[in-house]
Amino acid sequence: MKVNLFILVLVIFFFAAVGFPGCPAPDAVCARLPEMGNGQVIGDGQWGRGDRLWAMGDGKSQDPVHAESPSAGEDVPARKDMKPSGRSQDAFQDEYKDEGQDYDDEPFADERVTIADPIEPFNRLMHRFNDRLYFWLLKPVAEGYKEAVPEPARISVKNFYYHLLFPIRFVNCVLQADLTGAGSEAGRFAINTVWGVGGLLDPSSNQGIELPKQNADFGQTLGLYGVGHGFYIVWPFLGPSSPRDSVDIAGEYVLDPLSYFTPWYTSLGKRPLKMINNASLSLGDYEAVIEAAIDPYIAIRNGYIQYRMKEVQARRDRSLFFRNRKNAAPEAADPPPAN
Amino acid sequence: MQNRILKKRLIGCSLFLMLLLSIPAYAGAPLSAVENTVNRVLDVLRDPKLKGPTAKPAKTEKLRVIYKDMFDEMEFSRRTLTRNWNKFTPEQRREFVDLFEQVLEKTYLDRILEYSNEKIVFYKETMIGEDKAEIQSKVIASSKEVPIYYRMILKNGKWKVYDVVVENVSLVQNYRTQFNEILAGGTPEQLLETLRKKVKTH
Repeated sequence: MKVNLFILVLVIFFFAAVGFPGCPAPDAVCARLPEMGNGQVIGDGQWGRGDRLWAMGDGKSQDPVHAESPSAGEDVPARKDMKPSGRSQDAFQDEYKDEGQDYDDEPFADERVTIADPIEPFNRLMHRFNDRLYFWLLKPVAEGYKEAVPEPARISVKNFYYHLLFPIRFVNCVLQADLTGAGSEAGRFAINTVWGVGGLLDPSSNQGIELPKQNADFGQTLGLYGVGHGFYIVWPFLGPSSPRDSVDIAGEYVLDPLSYFTPWYTSLGKRPLKMINNASLSLGDYEAVIEAAIDPYIAIRNGYIQYRMKEVQARRDRSLFFRNRKNAAPEAADPPPAN
Repeated sequence: MQNRILKKRLIGCSLFLMLLLSIPAYAGAPLSAVENTVNRVLDVLRDPKLKGPTAKPAKTEKLRVIYKDMFDEMEFSRRTLTRNWNKFTPEQRREFVDLFEQVLEKTYLDRILEYSNEKIVFYKETMIGEDKAEIQSKVIASSKEVPIYYRMILKNGKWKVYDVVVENVSLVQNYRTQFNEILAGGTPEQLLETLRKKVKTH
């Protein structure tokens, strides 16, 4: 117990030291972005609004779409005089126009998230490490395991690990002011413990009960509170993350019930099984991402932040407290054009 | 009393009218468009005549016809390149669209061919303006559910897909960041070369 706390403090201290630039209140606006890497400071970068991310740090990975149409907004009438698409023939001749709001997906503008990547060389190295780990070790092992263990058993193992992390989901539902979610998780935990043989089965998802899973975590909670990602970081073994989202690594350790009963090193042993089991249920997913990508590293980085942003948004919509504060936070300034 | 009934009717009538007027002309069209195409894909995948590895080319050919009809690859390409599009000559653009399509086909075809009777549910249509819509669907497999959203645009009276959002990740956005990164330090020719290699290697 004491050791757990100690580790938590250490980890927090680490992040505090590495960089959680001081942005006290959720809605507070940092006057300037802390300079990172070769980053020039763009706009007035903000920590505000959860995943309305930082303006870019490294200049080159900017998403120019930010700049696509600064005058975006009331565009529905403007769209009407969009070229009727006799375009397909001479479309190759057509220039791309910024002013014509043709390509301005205002409803999806949130998706144009970017993340600072000041430690890109390290991240790329870790990316390669994880990639090799998957193809050389995890995948072959998971394939063998898949042959040996029938699917229902593997799903049970997955359910069991998921079940164990109930405290994290519950605590975060509460912290996110999502009381229905917290209730749902508590109900799931009770039902699945008793009727689901200690979490091996998932009767709560069956028809008739239908208590939805709440994938709440600490990273989202911080996002809801207005903490930004910080920067992109790829952990060995664990993959894409950010200082903010890494809090969950510590959280998982502190709130995982097993970590109280067993010495710390058993969690090292537990993780590979979890990884292998989960990999056996999603073989092919990672390959598809890598194959589809032109630059897999960038593809995963962008996928990660898009995914996290939508998660935080979804959690915010469920929250009793933060739901209506969506627009209260100051708008993050769009960085200037990339080109 | 009389008055109250009249009032109720009036309210009822006007509510009905409002409802009538608010139904957009194309409501339901984009959803059924995707649903139909996906069902056509599923028909090909389930076709007992097309089972086994030997039938793969035939299957691929049939699927190609369907998704060419479903996707607007021009819209997709331009949206991923955005202003970088202007750096390309018309010939380069043509090649880009063609190569990009092949890259997508190669990766996603294998995934589609792996289909083994997962359930696919279309459950929501959101109109965005008059000519765009987002259709939400999910694929339900035994161990998980994967949400897939289709973004559609109305062109020449036809709804076509211009972006696919898989598990909350928009493909257009994702490729956009990749192309940006490559084009920030390189020329269109270099990007095309990367794509050519990509198409060749698998």
